Amino acid sequence: MSEIRPPRLGVVKLASCDGCQLTLLDLEDELLAIGARFDLVEFPEASSRRSDGPYDVLLVEGSVSTPAQAEQIQQLRERSRLLVTIGACATAGGIQAMRNFGKEPAWRASVYPQPELIQSLATATPVADHVNVDIELRGCPIDRYQLLELLTALRLGRRPQLPDEAVCLECKRRGRVCVLVAGGVACLGPVTQTGCGALCPSYARGCYACFGPREAANVGSLSAWLGADRPSGAVDRLFAGFTGYAPPFRDASARAMATFQPPAATGEEPD
Amino acid sequence: MALVNRRVGWQGGGMKPRVSLAGRLGSTWFGGGLPPRTRERLASIAEVRTFGPGEILLKEATECDHFGVLLSGLLAMQVLVPGQGSVTLLTVEPGDVFGWSAVVAPHRSTSTVVGIEAGEALAFGAEPLRDLLNADDVLAATLYPRLLQAVARRLTATRLQLLDLYAREQEVLPW
Amino acid sequence: MVIAPPGQEFLPRERFDALLDLLREGGRTIMGSKMRDGAVVLDEITSVDDLPGGWQDEQSPGRYRLTGDHGERLFDVVNGPMSWKQFTFPPRQAVASAQRNPDLSATFSARTPDPPRLAFLGVRACELAALRIHDRVLAGGAFVDEDYRARRDGALVVAVQCTRAASTCFCASMGTGPEVRDGHDLALTELEDGFLVSSGTADGARLLARLPTRRGTTAEEAAAAGAVAEVRAATGEAVALDGLHNRLMDQLDNPRWGQVADRCLACANCTMVCPTCFCTSSALRSDLNGTVTVAERVWDSCFTVGFAQVAGGNFRPRRSDRYRQWLTHKFATWVDQFGSYGCVGCGRCVSWCPVGIDVREELAVIAPPAVQPERGANRPAAATPGRFDIATLGALRNETADTSTLRLVPRDPALLAGLPGQFVMVDQPGFPAFPISASRYGSDHVELTVRAAGPATRALLSQPTGAQVGLRGPLGRPWPLQRAVGRDVVIVAGGIGLAPLRPLVEAILAERARYGSVLLTYGARSPADRLFVDELSAWAERGIEVAQIVDRSGPGWTGRVGVVTGLLDQRDFSARPTVAFVCGPERMMQTVATVLRDRGVAPERLFVSLERHMECGIGLCGHCQMGPFFVCRDGPVFAMSELGDLFAREGI
Repeated sequence: MSEIRPPRLGVVKLASCDGCQLTLLDLEDELLAIGARFDLVEFPEASSRRSDGPYDVLLVEGSVSTPAQAEQIQQLRERSRLLVTIGACATAGGIQAMRNFGKEPAWRASVYPQPELIQSLATATPVADHVNVDIELRGCPIDRYQLLELLTALRLGRRPQLPDEAVCLECKRRGRVCVLVAGGVACLGPVTQTGCGALCPSYARGCYACFGPREAANVGSLSAWLGADRPSGAVDRLFAGFTGYAPPFRDASARAMATFQPPAATGEEPD
Repeated sequence: MALVNRRVGWQGGGMKPRVSLAGRLGSTWFGGGLPPRTRERLASIAEVRTFGPGEILLKEATECDHFGVLLSGLLAMQVLVPGQGSVTLLTVEPGDVFGWSAVVAPHRSTSTVVGIEAGEALAFGAEPLRDLLNADDVLAATLYPRLLQAVARRLTATRLQLLDLYAREQEVLPW
Repeated sequence: MVIAPPGQEFLPRERFDALLDLLREGGRTIMGSKMRDGAVVLDEITSVDDLPGGWQDEQSPGRYRLTGDHGERLFDVVNGPMSWKQFTFPPRQAVASAQRNPDLSATFSARTPDPPRLAFLGVRACELAALRIHDRVLAGGAFVDEDYRARRDGALVVAVQCTRAASTCFCASMGTGPEVRDGHDLALTELEDGFLVSSGTADGARLLARLPTRRGTTAEEAAAAGAVAEVRAATGEAVALDGLHNRLMDQLDNPRWGQVADRCLACANCTMVCPTCFCTSSALRSDLNGTVTVAERVWDSCFTVGFAQVAGGNFRPRRSDRYRQWLTHKFATWVDQFGSYGCVGCGRCVSWCPVGIDVREELAVIAPPAVQPERGANRPAAATPGRFDIATLGALRNETADTSTLRLVPRDPALLAGLPGQFVMVDQPGFPAFPISASRYGSDHVELTVRAAGPATRALLSQPTGAQVGLRGPLGRPWPLQRAVGRDVVIVAGGIGLAPLRPLVEAILAERARYGSVLLTYGARSPADRLFVDELSAWAERGIEVAQIVDRSGPGWTGRVGVVTGLLDQRDFSARPTVAFVCGPERMMQTVATVLRDRGVAPERLFVSLERHMECGIGLCGHCQMGPFFVCRDGPVFAMSELGDLFAREGI
């Protein structure tokens, strides 16, 4: 990063809920420092300042879900030095990717009274399926300390420390008792990438993989173990969540989605 | 001191999956070895038959009017032996098949199939099944090998029964 | 044999607080066992109520449960996911900071260790061994971790002698326990009314002098020694330590590494809970201006992908590489590096592996010892040729047309202490002695279920009540029930093979909660040829699934007809490690073993009971040899993995 001028930082959104962008604003104590060290040129959620690029760092939230977004992401890539995808939607497709298993027409008809007015692609896909991505920040939403580490590392010019290891290490470092071994609770921590600080197991509930699969995620072994005393199909449903479209989880999600039918369209106004 | 074994379940959606006949067939041993398209085709002529203890599904030496895959309960295959009455040759566990005479000529049941414990079976009408197999080569090419496997399994078991293993245990010492 | 050291003091239970008060002197904080979130962790202890009084742990691969209401004892829970490295070698510890100054100079400052003053209450023998190992690794070589040294030196260690073992413990096997030898300031052994206390250092002796103790009685010391001896017996067999280093290093290409890697999640839980693992990484925290960066020493693991990463590649890209690294380090190369094995046998890695991988099993499969060690947890009666102990015949019950169950009352109580699966040699004047597996070891009798197959057995069954016969035993290796704790169990019996399995079923039912789901499949020739008919129904009421099947039907029979393999070949035993116990005619056991293997039972968890021509039963007559084994002494129970293809081979 050049010290002569602060790097031009942009934050844009495709199909998503906004939560990941909001994480930047959650860095309340550091916001002023970030504002001083970066030139925030595009961040519609927080500022009326607009720019079409070029960007030194572009944070992209959301999955590619419409024809317009498919075009937009190509242009954004061309205008960005470093493209960083943030969040489950951008890195794995998000919960909306559950329509990818051939269900999009049925779901669209079920939700919207006039489905013909909706222009969406049959699939909602991660940004990396369309363009080269330089760095991924996982999470649903992303962890603000990982975001801070990313921005700090970019300022210093070092590689950001985003460890690719299981949530289990963080649980154990924090002295958390394993909910799976001691409570029989279904937890996907062993196959999920760390970053959240082992948040869900801290509240005695199992991890549901919102940070997506880690390297060498052994989905088969964990599924077999969890499936031994659960009804058939229950384990597949554990994976069919916010990062269910990510390749290691995809087969399980496909099986789970095969058993779900969208409710019949009633054609009535919702309450 | 409170606690242990708190079960915090996975917060899944509120949707209850409807399991189709093809799905039920797929969850059995026999059906699990068939490709999905074959299961779908078979499901189109399937119906669920419930039965209770003592209820006869097929009668020995009469026309076999359906081929069945047992979903739950227990069935006995019996033959009539003069002087002994009805003798049970074999009991059929869930997942296994019965009534394959529906697709094997001369289409007459070789034993009486009767309920022992109440349950359900997927029944495939003999004529619709034979028509489907004649009309659809791909279906036949996937169903017959699986049927052969079921027959082979039963033959192996029958051979073990014949060996009468428990009667003549190895006598290694004349004591 | 443990001999209680002379001069042990006794602290009554109601005065335990006095110990806590003494430990807290000088501003020390006491760290000990505390219940949290369904496990026992190490946390601050302010009063005796903080300790898990009355609680016990039930541990097995991938499973940890606590149960309460077991009385008042404070130290029955053996261990939990935390070890003392939590305090001597904390998960996150700032060690240094670095500063880049405007004039481009740099300042590096190491953090001065400032450890809290702690007392460790309840350190077990295995954990003392782990502390010794860390002393060597982190402070005993050319380079010392000063933070570790400071924390270690500052801690007061109150050890606790284990009087109870979890099924995952194997300290005696690793040579690290259960006896507390040294490394402690004070040591406690808990009895019903209080604690025997001894000191191990001058500091400890000074504290002991100030405790309200009295001299321990010889009875109390004997009780303590007895309890510890039982723990030793329960933890001594799992790992064949002799020569393990070389055996393991010879197996770097063993295909088993790939097989365990298919199950291994590389989640690093084993290394996190291990009290001797010490690998760390440096985590940097910088401020946004990039001026000051703090470096933290953070627990890491050889199972993470980043661990062996360099620019341009990774030295251990596959899970199998990493599992092999961990196991060979712990059980082989650690010896080369530090002069001892790295494992202390605490069993935490076995319990806290989310998919229940058991290092004891993996070692037994990858690096088995050349010859099976002699088994025998008990002392058999009349264990020499020519001697038999007298037993008196009691009631006889007919089971089938040719099989009866005979009750015998032996004189020597050693004959009553048999374990399920062991057999006795039965001798009658004028007839050759023959082996029979006991179908029950009662409190004052044994039961033998005998088939009248020849002159000697017919003679036995025709003796009247009160007649005497000779017995030798209990002999042989029993069913390894310990391996089934916390796991699903499948028992397959064929014909008279149900007899040696009956005491196994009764042992499981006596402590049903310790096991997972239990399935018993029993195949017999016909309904009239079944043994223990009433008991079969009773067992089904007590929480095990009983499925009976007969080769041929009989009058009035409304049950299953067919072969016993038909009850097994549609089930899936691969989801969780399942233990199988099989007994029946050898041909039947072969068929069943094949089906169970196909359905997912691993050969090292599949046990059969073999029969051979035996004349002495104690490995001296040579008749019962089978390959490298003497069936009477190394069996009759064998794991399929030990037998390999000997089992189905003709003429062995």
